[in-house]
Amino acid sequence: MSRLMLSFLRVGILALAILGTALAQSLTFWSWRPEDKEFYDDIARQFEAQTGIKVVFTAYKNTDYNTALSSALAAGSGPDIIQTRAYGGLAQLADAGYLLPIVSQEVKGLDKFPRTLLNAARGYKDKRLFGVPFATQTLGIFYNKALLKKAGMELPQTWGAFLGTLEKLKKAGITPLANGAKDGWTLEIMFGVVGPNFYGSTGFYNEVVGGKRTFNDPVFVRALKEEAQLTPYMPQGFMGVGYDDMRTLFINEQAAFFIGGSFEIGYFRAQNPKLDFGFMAAPPLVQGGRPWVSSFADGNYSINAKTTHKKEALEFLSFLASKEFGQQFTDKLAQISAVPGLTSKDPVLSQVIELTAKYQTPYLMLVGFRYQNPTGSFLLQNGLQSLLDGKATAEQVAADITKGVATWYAPFQGK
Amino acid sequence: MRRRLSGLDWLLRGALILNAIGVLSPLLVMLVSAFKSTREIFASPFAPPSMLSFQNFIKVWQVGQFDLYLRNSLIVTLGALALILLFGAMAGYALGRFRFRLNDVIYLFFLAGLMIPAKLALIPLFVQLKALGLLNSLWGLILVYAAGGIPAAVFIMAGFFRTLPSDLDNAARMDGAGEWQVFWRVMLPLVRPALAIVGIYSAIPIWNDFLLPLVFIQKPELKTLMQGLTVFFGQYQTDWGALFAGLTLASLPLALLYLLLSEEFIKGLTAGATKG
Amino acid sequence: MSRSSHPRRFLGLRLERGLWLTLFLAPALVLMLVFTTLPAINALVYSLFKWQAFKRGAFAGLENFQRLFAYPFDQQFLRALSHNTLAFVVLLVVQTGLGLLLAYALWKHPPGLRFFRVTVFLPVILSLVIVGFLWQLFLNPLFGPLNKLLHGVGLHALALPWLGDPATALPALLLVNVWRWVGFPALVFLAGINAISEEYLEAAKLDGASEGQVFRHVILPLLAPSFTIIVLLTFIGSFEWFDLPYVMEGVNGTPAGATDTLALMFYRLAFGTVDAGISDVGLGAAVNTVLFFLVLLGAVLGALYLRRREVEG
Repeated sequence: MSRLMLSFLRVGILALAILGTALAQSLTFWSWRPEDKEFYDDIARQFEAQTGIKVVFTAYKNTDYNTALSSALAAGSGPDIIQTRAYGGLAQLADAGYLLPIVSQEVKGLDKFPRTLLNAARGYKDKRLFGVPFATQTLGIFYNKALLKKAGMELPQTWGAFLGTLEKLKKAGITPLANGAKDGWTLEIMFGVVGPNFYGSTGFYNEVVGGKRTFNDPVFVRALKEEAQLTPYMPQGFMGVGYDDMRTLFINEQAAFFIGGSFEIGYFRAQNPKLDFGFMAAPPLVQGGRPWVSSFADGNYSINAKTTHKKEALEFLSFLASKEFGQQFTDKLAQISAVPGLTSKDPVLSQVIELTAKYQTPYLMLVGFRYQNPTGSFLLQNGLQSLLDGKATAEQVAADITKGVATWYAPFQGK
Repeated sequence: MRRRLSGLDWLLRGALILNAIGVLSPLLVMLVSAFKSTREIFASPFAPPSMLSFQNFIKVWQVGQFDLYLRNSLIVTLGALALILLFGAMAGYALGRFRFRLNDVIYLFFLAGLMIPAKLALIPLFVQLKALGLLNSLWGLILVYAAGGIPAAVFIMAGFFRTLPSDLDNAARMDGAGEWQVFWRVMLPLVRPALAIVGIYSAIPIWNDFLLPLVFIQKPELKTLMQGLTVFFGQYQTDWGALFAGLTLASLPLALLYLLLSEEFIKGLTAGATKG
Repeated sequence: MSRSSHPRRFLGLRLERGLWLTLFLAPALVLMLVFTTLPAINALVYSLFKWQAFKRGAFAGLENFQRLFAYPFDQQFLRALSHNTLAFVVLLVVQTGLGLLLAYALWKHPPGLRFFRVTVFLPVILSLVIVGFLWQLFLNPLFGPLNKLLHGVGLHALALPWLGDPATALPALLLVNVWRWVGFPALVFLAGINAISEEYLEAAKLDGASEGQVFRHVILPLLAPSFTIIVLLTFIGSFEWFDLPYVMEGVNGTPAGATDTLALMFYRLAFGTVDAGISDVGLGAAVNTVLFFLVLLGAVLGALYLRRREVEG
C-alpha cells in the first residue's frame, strides 16, 4: 500500500523540483480573440521592427476573458494593453479608474475616428476617452446566391417581398432561414436586423434613451411581433438550433438566408471558400424606402492605468490606430477596421462598409442599455426566447424589459 | 461448479451491456471527430471521417506545445494528488478513528470546505496568491488544488476508516507499534479502495480544469494542457477538430490512471477476501 | 485506559495521543485554512460592500441582499434555486439508484468484468467540454441521431428540440449529468459492498435468505457509510451545479432561464458576460453568500443525521 502512496509522493516531489524562470520585460497585451493570435503575433513583429518595443499577445477563451481580467485588475495587476469590450464593458472599467484616459493628441490619427465609434470608448460617468476602437460590426441578412437562383428568385426589395420569398423557398423545400433560438444573443442580433424598420430606428433610439418613450411603446411591441413571425421559416426544431448549427446550415448551403453580423464573413470564407453569398440590409417596408443597419463598435484597445510603460503603450496604440494596421486588420481578419477611410478587396465586406456609412443606426440594447444589470440585452434575449417559443406575448416581453431596465435606469422610473 | 443464472442475473448483465453501449457510442463519435475538419464535424457528425488525416493531432502538437503543457499538467495534478492523498488520509484517519472533543467541529469545518468551489472565491484567491507570490507558479496551482481536494478526501477517508473493526489498531498498539506505524502500516493498507477512489475523484477535476490556470498562469511556459487547448476556442471560430484531437489525447493519462488505480483496487479486494 | 499513568491531557486525550492527533490533522487544516477558508470568507464579506467594477467601496450593510431579494433578481434567484433542488432530487434517485444497480452487477463478477469496470467509469474522466459537445450533437434537432431515429419511426411529435425547449432542457441536462457521473456512485458502492465481510453474507444465505432479502437486509444497511458519502456529494454537487449547464446552455441558462442555476447566476453577476451582462460583484457575492449558507445548513444537518444513523445501523 505504502508503495502506491510513496510513488505518488515521489513523482509529485520530483515534479515540484523542476520549476519556473523569469520573463523579459515587455508590453503585455490581453485579448478575447484566440482565433486572431497569429495576426497579432505578426503585428507585434512589425511593431517591434519599427520601434524595438516587444509586445507579448495573450488570448483568452472568449467566455472566460472577463473572469481572468477582472481577477487580475482586482488585485492591481493585469496587462499593459487591455482589449476592452465597447460601451458598458469599457465604461465600467473606465469609471472605476482601471483604464488610462487618452488625450486624442497622444494617439496619432485618433481625432479622425468617427464620433459614434469613439463614444463606445468613453466611461458612463467619466466621459473622457479610454481606448482606440478596433472594429465596427454591422448587422444584416446574408443570402446564398446559388440557392436563390435555383429557386428562381430575385433579391426582395421590400419587407413584404422578403416574407414572400421566405414562403416560396419553404414551399420549394429549401430551409428559408438558418437562424435558430437556442443561443439568446443570436436572437438579439436578429432583432437588430428586423427591429429598426418597425420601431423607427435612430429616432426611437434617441427618445427611448432620453426616457421620452419606453419599450412598452406600440412600435417596439410591433417590432418584437415581426421577429416572432419569422419562426415558420426557421429550421425544424429552431428552439434547439444553436449558433454553430445555424452557421453549419448556411455554409453547407442548406439554408438560403442567415440573419447575422459582419463578423461572420471571415468564418464563412474560411469554412467554405466556394460559398457564393451576399449581404443586404433588412429591406424597407415600402419600395424605395430608406433601409437601416444596426451597427456597433466591437471593442477597443485600452491601456491599464497601472502600466509602468505608458509611453510605449501609447506608441503601440498609435500603431493600432494607423491605416497601415487598419488595412491589415480588414484584409487578414475580414472584419471592418475602425480606422476611417479604408476599403476592402472583399466584395461583401466592402458592401458592408458602404451600407454602414450610409444607413447605420445604433444597435439598440448594446449601445443604450447595457450599463447595469439586468441589462436590456439580457432581458431582450430571454424575452425573445419566450416569445418565439409561444410562452409569452410581445406585450409581456416589452413590459418585462421596461420594468427590468427601470430598476436602474432613472428616466424609466414611474413609467 | 456451474450455478444457474437467475432472471436477476440476466437483468444486471443487461444493464451493464446497455450502459457500455450508451457510454461507448458517444465516445466513438469523439474518436472519429478527432480526424475531421470543423466543417465536417458539423455537417456529418456521425459519418466516418472522409479521409484518415492526422492533421488535427499535428496541429495540437505544434500550436499547442502539447509536450510542454503535458509536463506541466502532470506536475500539477500529481503534486496536488500527493498532498491530497497523504494529508487527506491522515486527517480522515484522525477523525474516523479517534473520539475527541473537537471531532465534530473539525469534521464540519472540512465539510464546509467542500462547499466552496474555487470559482466562487476566485477574486480573493487571486489577491491572496499575489500576496504570497504564488501567481505564475505551478506551486500556486498545486496548493490551491490540494486545498480544494482535501475536504472531499477527508470526508471519504473518515467514512472508510470508521467502518474498520476497532480491535485492529488497538491490537497493533498492544504489540508496541507507534501511532505513525499504526496509521501507515496497519490502517492505511486496509482502506486502499478508498484511496483509489479519492485519487481518481480528485484527479479528474484538477486535470480537466482550465479556469484556474487561465486566471493564475500567464507565462506561456507554465500553461497546463487544458489551458493550452483553450486557444482553439475562438469568439467566432472554434477549431473543434483540433479540440477533439487535443481533448482525446488529454483524456488518455486519466484513463491510464484509472486503469492503474482500479487494478490496485481489485487486488486490494481479493487480498481482503482471502484474509476473511 | 489507566488515567493515573498519563495525567496530562490534550483535546481530551492523553497528551501523546493528542499530539499525534494534532500532527495528523494540522497539514490538512492549514492548507485548507489558507487556500480555501480565508478566500471564501473574503468572498462572503464582499457581499457587505458597495462595488465599482472590482474596486471595493463603502460598507453597504445588507443592501446587496435587499437588491437580490427585490425585482427582478428575486425571480431569477427562486427559479434557479428550484432548478438546483430539482437537480438534487432527480440525481439522488436516478443517478444513485443506477449507480447502485451497476455496482451490484459488477460485484457479481459477470463475464467481461474488466471491460465493464472500465466502461462504467469512463465518462467520469472525460473533459466536460467533450461531454457537453457530444451530447449537444446527439440531442441536436437537425443533425442528431435521436431525432433522426424518432422521425424514422414516425414519432415526429416526439422529435423535440431537447436542449432548446424550456420543458425538456433541464431534464435533458440532468440525463447527461447522469451519463457523465453515474460511474462514481457505482465505484463507491462497489467498494462498499466489497468491504462487507463474507461471513455476514454466508450466514444470511445459510439462514435461507433469498438474494433479494440478502440485498435488502444485509447489503443495504451495511452500505450506509457509502450512502452518506454519495448523498452529501450529490447534495453539494447539485447546489453548486455549474459546469455542465455552462457548457451546454450558456451562462444565462438558456432557453429563457429554463436551465439557470445559482452558480451560473453568481458567475454572470460577478464577472459579467460577453453578450448580455455587466459585472456586479456585490450582487454576485450576495448570491454566493446565500448559496453557501443554504448548502452549509443542508449539509451539516444531513451529515449529522446520516452519521448518527450509520452508528445506529
